[in-house]
Amino acid sequence: MIRYECLQLLASKMSNQLVVTSQSGQRIEWSHLSRHEGNLLVGMMGCAIGVATGLALALPHRKVIALDSDGSVLLSLFNLATLGNLQPKNLVVYVFDNGVYSGSRISYPTATAGNTDLAAMARGAGIKNAQTIRDFEEFKKAGVDALIRNELGFFVCKVEESLMHREIPRPNTDLAENKYTFVRYLERTEEKAIAFVGRG
Amino acid sequence: MKDELARRLVQSLKAAGINFVTYLPETRLSQIVPLIRDDPDMELIPVANESEAITIAAGATLGGKQAAVYMENTGIYTSCYSLLTVGKQLGVPLLLVIAYLGGVPDLRNSFLYATIGKHSIPVLNGLGVDHTLLEDGDKLEVKIKDAVRAANSLRAPYALLFAGEFSE
Repeated sequence: MIRYECLQLLASKMSNQLVVTSQSGQRIEWSHLSRHEGNLLVGMMGCAIGVATGLALALPHRKVIALDSDGSVLLSLFNLATLGNLQPKNLVVYVFDNGVYSGSRISYPTATAGNTDLAAMARGAGIKNAQTIRDFEEFKKAGVDALIRNELGFFVCKVEESLMHREIPRPNTDLAENKYTFVRYLERTEEKAIAFVGRG
Repeated sequence: MKDELARRLVQSLKAAGINFVTYLPETRLSQIVPLIRDDPDMELIPVANESEAITIAAGATLGGKQAAVYMENTGIYTSCYSLLTVGKQLGVPLLLVIAYLGGVPDLRNSFLYATIGKHSIPVLNGLGVDHTLLEDGDKLEVKIKDAVRAANSLRAPYALLFAGEFSE
């Protein structure tokens, strides 16, 4: 399965969802595929699921999506236990698992290339709808279906290592610029002021 | 901490607009947890690690909540990465309510905590996280409001370190 194709399909389904990406290839690919103001491109690994969880809890009526990677989830495994207990019904996590630390440029294996099964760990942590998706047909069904279900979803999407993110343009927005675009979008769509945003 | 001081602490957080608290409990300030849990205007979120206490609170802040993180000062060490990347680099205001174990003003200090306490303020300084030490309930409401205002103005975490009477 190719990550870019999965993201392309997800991008075609976006309307008012909020999308949080971690720092890895999918951040670049997603920013290339979607210019939506509800995208928050978090600049480092291991933080996207936490930020997405906070958004999902703060805005329980909005669908929140986390786009993450195997290396990133392995950095923050405690998120699984917390999600397994909080069960935010409006959160869907897609983990694009290529089994390597691709960004390192030496593509050494992550633990998921060995014995580690992130979906099994997520189920063990209490996330009921946690599954591994191994082909695009399955992604089109279970992965896309999760967008309309009112249930926490955790999908480990087994993808080939791809270097496409090195060939397409990187996002041309600064982190702060992206953050303010995101919160202004929320202010507008939620019709409420966010306390820290400057006004005059 | 005396029950009355715990009540004042929670009321002061509420008066400063705090309505979302992530936490990992510890020994000095833990009386605040049931008070926050029972307050209908405050959301209390248990976490497994202080690092995600920061990221979850940051997400809630971006979603419009006024968030605080309650932790022991050992949590400063485990959350350094999140404090730096999400708190400082992305620039998200958070109030850090930190039980300051092992510092000189910790009334229950011992060999178990002293090393942890000794390095807490230097680490906060190294991260560039501004902070205030509170040793008693004098002007508590004002100090907490000031800290929340500072966090929002700086778009960054601001730490309140609680010791002295808070560590009784």
